[in-house]
Amino acid sequence: MQKEEGLVLRAQQHDQEAFAQLYEAYFDKIYRYVTFKLGNEMEAEDITQQVFLNTLQSISSFKWKGVPFSAWLFRIAHNQVVDYLRKKKRATVPLDESLPASDDNPQQLAEHKLDIERLLSATRRLTEAQREVISLRFTSELPIAEVARVMGKSQGAVKALQHSAIVALRQALAVTEDETR
Amino acid sequence: MKRDKEFNNILNECLERLLEGEAIEQCLRRYPEQANELKPLLQTALVARRVSVIQPRADFKARARYQFRSALREAATKKRPFFSWFPRWATVATIALVLLLAGSGTVAAAGSSMPDSPLYPVKLATEEVRLALTPSPIDKASFCAELADHRVAEIIYMANKGDTQQVELITRRLDERLATLVVLVLDQEKGEAPMLMAPAPEEAGFSKGGNARADDQAGLRMTLEYNAVNNTATLNAVLEKAPESVKPALLEAIAIAEAGYQKALEALD
Repeated sequence: MQKEEGLVLRAQQHDQEAFAQLYEAYFDKIYRYVTFKLGNEMEAEDITQQVFLNTLQSISSFKWKGVPFSAWLFRIAHNQVVDYLRKKKRATVPLDESLPASDDNPQQLAEHKLDIERLLSATRRLTEAQREVISLRFTSELPIAEVARVMGKSQGAVKALQHSAIVALRQALAVTEDETR
Repeated sequence: MKRDKEFNNILNECLERLLEGEAIEQCLRRYPEQANELKPLLQTALVARRVSVIQPRADFKARARYQFRSALREAATKKRPFFSWFPRWATVATIALVLLLAGSGTVAAAGSSMPDSPLYPVKLATEEVRLALTPSPIDKASFCAELADHRVAEIIYMANKGDTQQVELITRRLDERLATLVVLVLDQEKGEAPMLMAPAPEEAGFSKGGNARADDQAGLRMTLEYNAVNNTATLNAVLEKAPESVKPALLEAIAIAEAGYQKALEALD
């Protein structure tokens, strides 16, 4: 965390290399978060790029007051997604068939895609807050304290929300499976 | 209520461990009383975690990185208007003075330096002074062609070293050099002293006769035609063997070289 604090301070003083390191550290996580929220690869690419350009423009306004940089960055991503969906006037978007996966094995790749499609489909049955906590916790792998910061809630409230979100997701996955049979 | 809070804490602890790679069974053994309730939740969490295999496409990632780095550089340039208020003659005079103090040996050694050398800034400064002191626009244009050639060699050198940032930086210098060349060619065809260069060559007795100028133009055209073909071919050959991380920047360099040479040749038509 101290190293990250140093990087952010340097980035605020226009140190290009420090900013580039922050970019590399968070790019994939932000992309996964946005993809999970939108369910569409092409849209997620545009939004992810915009998130980092916005970060570049507004980094001088970021203040270390117990708020981790990641929480601030995911907040920007969240706002970007909300703005985008508001402009498109729809709550969900169709799934993209070419959701990427890191595995090169074709069979595993196909299984992963099915898993992801099933999962994304199931999350549409969750509330916005439940979807948010699942996304931050399991796609971007943020610790509970940072999720609490991003969502502006107490850690206790996020733990309770996490519990209800997993229960809801389990039920939604069962329903989705029934529908596909 | 208290029980709920306690269970939420246990669930969260198990999830943290699961995210770090611990197996579900280990967690259930740690909390046997809650095992029945925990097990389905942890299994669902593992399903959710499969989303973490989502990765951005390699070409998108490379393109996004290139664009972000460019925006980063642009932002840094805007924040530091270094010497931007300085008159050009004063900048040239300052550089000339620095070079004089640095000594002729340093200047000579810097001539063949590459961007990762401490002498490279001396090389760039020397080029600026030489360009400013070159009398006629057509000679300046020829010198720009030579400098563009140097920039291409530097791009190739840094691409082979896998240094994307330097490739991007030198590509911008190549672009600027070829753009200056076009301005010089157009200015000398109009018979005007170029705004960005040394003053009044004609009054100073440096003007060339019509035939000599035509010969110089023909020579410049031959040089540019050769460099356009040769440099883009070499850059394309380097692209094939370059590290993946450098390829987007190298593609940009090729596009800029092709467009720049094309515009210079069109200006000479």
